[in-house]
Amino acid sequence: MKTFHLTVARIGENLFDGEAVAATLPGREGVFQILAEHEALVSELSLGEVRVTAVGNRTYRFEILRGGIAEVSRNQTTILL
Amino acid sequence: MALKDIKSKIKATERTHKVTRAMEAVSAVKMRKTQSTALAGRPYARAALAILARLSGSADLSYQPLMKVRPSSKVALVILTSDKGLAGALNSGVIKAAAEAITPYPASAVTMYAYGKKGEEYFARRGYVIRRTYENKKDSVELSVIEELAADISDEFVRASYDEVLVAYSNFKSTFEQIPSVRRLLPLSLAGIEQLVKDIVPVKGKWSELAALEAPASYSVEPDDAEVLEYLVPRLVAVSLYHFLLEAKASEHSARMVAMKNASDKSREVAHELTRLFNKIRQAGITREVSEIVGGREALAT
Repeated sequence: MKTFHLTVARIGENLFDGEAVAATLPGREGVFQILAEHEALVSELSLGEVRVTAVGNRTYRFEILRGGIAEVSRNQTTILL
Repeated sequence: MALKDIKSKIKATERTHKVTRAMEAVSAVKMRKTQSTALAGRPYARAALAILARLSGSADLSYQPLMKVRPSSKVALVILTSDKGLAGALNSGVIKAAAEAITPYPASAVTMYAYGKKGEEYFARRGYVIRRTYENKKDSVELSVIEELAADISDEFVRASYDEVLVAYSNFKSTFEQIPSVRRLLPLSLAGIEQLVKDIVPVKGKWSELAALEAPASYSVEPDDAEVLEYLVPRLVAVSLYHFLLEAKASEHSARMVAMKNASDKSREVAHELTRLFNKIRQAGITREVSEIVGGREALAT
C-alpha cells in the first residue's frame, strides 16, 4: 500500500510524525480523506477530529479544539492544530 | 585570624560550594528540557511558515492587517527577562538592548509588556507605561498565557495603538553564548519568520542539523486564500512569541548554569587557599611551642 509522510503538530508539541496510509480531516465543506499522491492542497479545518491510519493499520485520533490547517504537497502532509 | 575563625570560614565556603554545584546541575537539566521543547515546536513553526510563503505567491499579503507596514511613531516593546538573578549578565544585556531599541522614541510613545520581573522593575523605575506584566517563574511556557498576550498585542496593533511591536529577548546560541537581541514581531514579515525558524536551531550540538525547506508548489486552497491567511497569520504571532520565550528561557538556564559553575570553581579555590592558611598557622603555632619548650629546657640545663 502506498504511504505518505504525515506530520501532525500543535504549537509546542509534535503529535504524529511518520508514514501514514490515510488521514481523514474535517474540512470547511465537509469531511475529506487524504491518501498518498493527493493533489497539492491547503485547507482550513473546522472543529472535530483528525483520524490517521498509519502503517501497520494503527489508528490515531486527534481532537481539533480551535481550528487548524492542513497542507498537502508532494506526498508530504502537514496538519497544524 | 584565629584558627577557629578560619576553620568556620572553610566550612562556610564548602557549604556555598555545595549549593552552587546543586544549582548548576539543576540549571543544566532545565536548559536541556527547554531546548527540547523549543525543538518539539519547530515543525509547527516551519510548516506554518512554509504555507505562508507558498500562499504569498498567489495571495496579496499586504492586505493582512497584521502585516501592514506603517511609518513608525508609536511602538510597543515586549521584554522577556527572568524573575530571578544569579544568571550572570543575562538580564542586564537584554535590558540594555531594549533600552537602545526604544531610544528614538519619547517615553510617552512606548508601551511595554514585561514578561519577567527584572525587565519590569527596570522600566517601571524609569517611568515607562507597562501595559501588562507576567511572572516568569514556571519552567514550562503556558500556551494560554502566550495566546492571550499575542491576542492583546495583535488587537492593539490592528487598532493602530502601535505601529511597530518589538521583542527584546536573549537568543540562545549555545550554552556559553547568548546574544541579547531585539526582533520585530509586528508587522509580521516573511523574512522575520524565516529568521525565527532558523534561530530555533542551536549553532552546534545535538539539534543543529536542519532539513531544507521544500520547493513551493501550486495549490488548491480551501475555502480561499483570505480565510486561510486569516487563520494562519494570528497563529504565527503566537508561535513567534512562544519561540522567543523558549529562547529566553533556554538562555536563562544556561547563563545560570555557567554562572554557578564559575561560583563553584571559585569557592573550591577559596576553600583550598583557606586550608593552606589554616595549616600554615597551625604549624607555626606548633613550631613556636616546641621551640619554647626546647628553650626552657636549655635555660634550666645551664
